[in-house]
Amino acid sequence: MTGRKPKKFTAFLWHRRIGLVAIVLVIILAITGIMLNHTEALKLDENYVESSLLLGWYGLEPEGEAISYDVGEHVITVLDHQVFFDAYPVAKTGQSFRGAVKAEQLIVLAFDTELVLLTHDGELVERMPTGHSFSEIQRIGIKYKRPVIETSDPLYYMADEHILDWDVIINEDIAWSQKTTLNDTKMTVLLESFRGRGLTLERVLLDLHSGRIFGGYGTYVMDTAAVALLWLSSSGLWVWWNRRMKQRKKRHYRKHHR
Amino acid sequence: MKNFVFILLLTLFSSMTLAGGVYQEPDAFIAEIFADKPPKAEVIWPDKELKAQIKDILGHDYKGLRIRYWQQDTRTAWVLDEIGKDKPITTGFVINNGRIERVRVLVFRESRGWEVRHAFFTDQFDNASLNKDTQLDHHIDNISGATLSVRAVTKLARVALLLDKIVNAQQES
Repeated sequence: MTGRKPKKFTAFLWHRRIGLVAIVLVIILAITGIMLNHTEALKLDENYVESSLLLGWYGLEPEGEAISYDVGEHVITVLDHQVFFDAYPVAKTGQSFRGAVKAEQLIVLAFDTELVLLTHDGELVERMPTGHSFSEIQRIGIKYKRPVIETSDPLYYMADEHILDWDVIINEDIAWSQKTTLNDTKMTVLLESFRGRGLTLERVLLDLHSGRIFGGYGTYVMDTAAVALLWLSSSGLWVWWNRRMKQRKKRHYRKHHR
Repeated sequence: MKNFVFILLLTLFSSMTLAGGVYQEPDAFIAEIFADKPPKAEVIWPDKELKAQIKDILGHDYKGLRIRYWQQDTRTAWVLDEIGKDKPITTGFVINNGRIERVRVLVFRESRGWEVRHAFFTDQFDNASLNKDTQLDHHIDNISGATLSVRAVTKLARVALLLDKIVNAQQES
């Protein structure tokens, strides 16, 4: 037995504990900080993230599948409630997409209880609710260059050339719109449009550095890491100073008491 | 006491969740206005000048190249959309002789401000018309907590009156 009492909560002990806890966050802070200091050299603002996981985390990855219909040389797609004319967003909808046709004067898009009219250049002309006039639309087709809809009754209606008035017709010689699949190039362009300008590496690093990437409390976590860094620097200084004083005492003792 | 608080919260919650939605299908509104015999819909394609006037009222371009309306004698009916805060509010208007006969909020998609659907608000528009500055000649009281919805419906009322004026002017000339 030496008779020495162990010091339970010395600065060194806490220096070690806090250092171990904060190590991951401090590494993140340091690496992202260094990278952000060289944004231009590393071209962080020109590089876009392609990871589905990260894009999904930022809400930039579509959740549903794209549903597309060809309308002449263009294609209409609905992806996560957003309606696209080729890759250009034209409207939003909460309804199921039932098809699209190119009529003589306009392009007609059919949803459960709504028709959306576009010019042949993709400009929005009008949105026409149909909930009272027809039962739910099932599909849309074309006859004599005029749009025809099939309702859940089932009944078949053909529009006039201005798409203002509808007459009941029989189900004969109607070319129903058919779903199409976008090729890889078109899908890439569409996704770029869906995500807007995309997610830059700089944005991700900034959010990692500030902690915002972890949500509302993320900033507090990074604040804690910063406080831990402050503590580590002061406790480190304290430990160093303490040891130096002890060594001085030891040297003094050896010099004068032997 | 606990049960009472629970029921109170449940009632409050259910009234909040039921507040928005489709109150009346736009085509059902038109059918009702014209006693189930609506006239054939007509359209107005706003020209540059009219687009500018509408933009002046709304503060942005109206979405859509044409606007449908229904007309019978001196009455015109319009179904128009305008965003309150984030989502469009669909409102039906009936104009008779240049004055508002009826306003009805048909579809409300936002989470707040649905109070504009109530008659105590929409009745304020009765008989309102446009003055020379394309402002309403009636004062419309605000509803606290629904300011943006009140503004949206008021702007649409001005647009409906303007469109009615233009349609009548076109027919007279």
